[in-house]
Amino acid sequence: MSSSIGEKCTQIKQEYDGCFNSWYSEKFLKGDATPKCDDLFFKYKECLLKTLEEKKLDTLLADARKDNPFPNSAASSASPSSGSSSESSKKN
Amino acid sequence: MVKFYQHTSSFEHAWDNVTYAFWLRYPNPFASHVVGCDVIDRQVDPVTGVLRTTRLILKQGVLPRWGRGLIKNPDAYIIEESEVDPRTQTMVTRTKNLNHVRVMQVEETQTFTVHPENPKWTQVKTEARIISELKWGLTGRVEAFGINKFMDNSVKARKGMAHILERLRQNAALAASAPTTAAAAGVAASDC
Repeated sequence: MSSSIGEKCTQIKQEYDGCFNSWYSEKFLKGDATPKCDDLFFKYKECLLKTLEEKKLDTLLADARKDNPFPNSAASSASPSSGSSSESSKKN
Repeated sequence: MVKFYQHTSSFEHAWDNVTYAFWLRYPNPFASHVVGCDVIDRQVDPVTGVLRTTRLILKQGVLPRWGRGLIKNPDAYIIEESEVDPRTQTMVTRTKNLNHVRVMQVEETQTFTVHPENPKWTQVKTEARIISELKWGLTGRVEAFGINKFMDNSVKARKGMAHILERLRQNAALAASAPTTAAAAGVAASDC
């Protein structure tokens, strides 16, 4: 199984992945987008954000996402646990 | 220097399965350099129903020896953004490198749709840009390396997806014939 970039986060990540994979194939693709994995994702992200800060990836990520927003997206709202800078809806 | 690349290919698997395999594609035997993959953000748009995901991928061991003068940090980070629209059965993904951008920027966009000639297959349109702005006579070598690496990676990515898709197909076949065995086999499917 694939690991997290933060070794400490691998276990919670894989728990979340298991939940997401089931949700994706059994619910989302069949038209039911009711969230099922939010609690796990919250815990996973908490761990991940610490890793990103330690490895100084948080600013790198925020800058990359600000410069060239992915097309077709409305400005993505920050998830509750996200510590990254606000997503920009700046258009080129 | 900017190089553009376009390619259309297909998987002989249904769109649902291909998009599912996309989440599971690491690890696979063709992606030995990928050491970590994390979901940074994920949400469903309440209006459009589109699933938007951002992932961060870490690769190690990809640097050639001559590159060590150019690049201090051998870790390569890639950002992958995607949108899955189950209503139109369209998935768009974009990957680009997050660091080493002064040496080279590689940005690839892929669009996965139901194959126009066979509803049980998936068509993939790939577009890529490779940008290098190096000076000091290095551009030629870096450009050649970058393009070759990109082509190699594209082939590996396809093989990786095909590998995962075959495993999913085998698991499904097992599940149809022997439910208890399939439960154990299903656990072997890897995810990122």
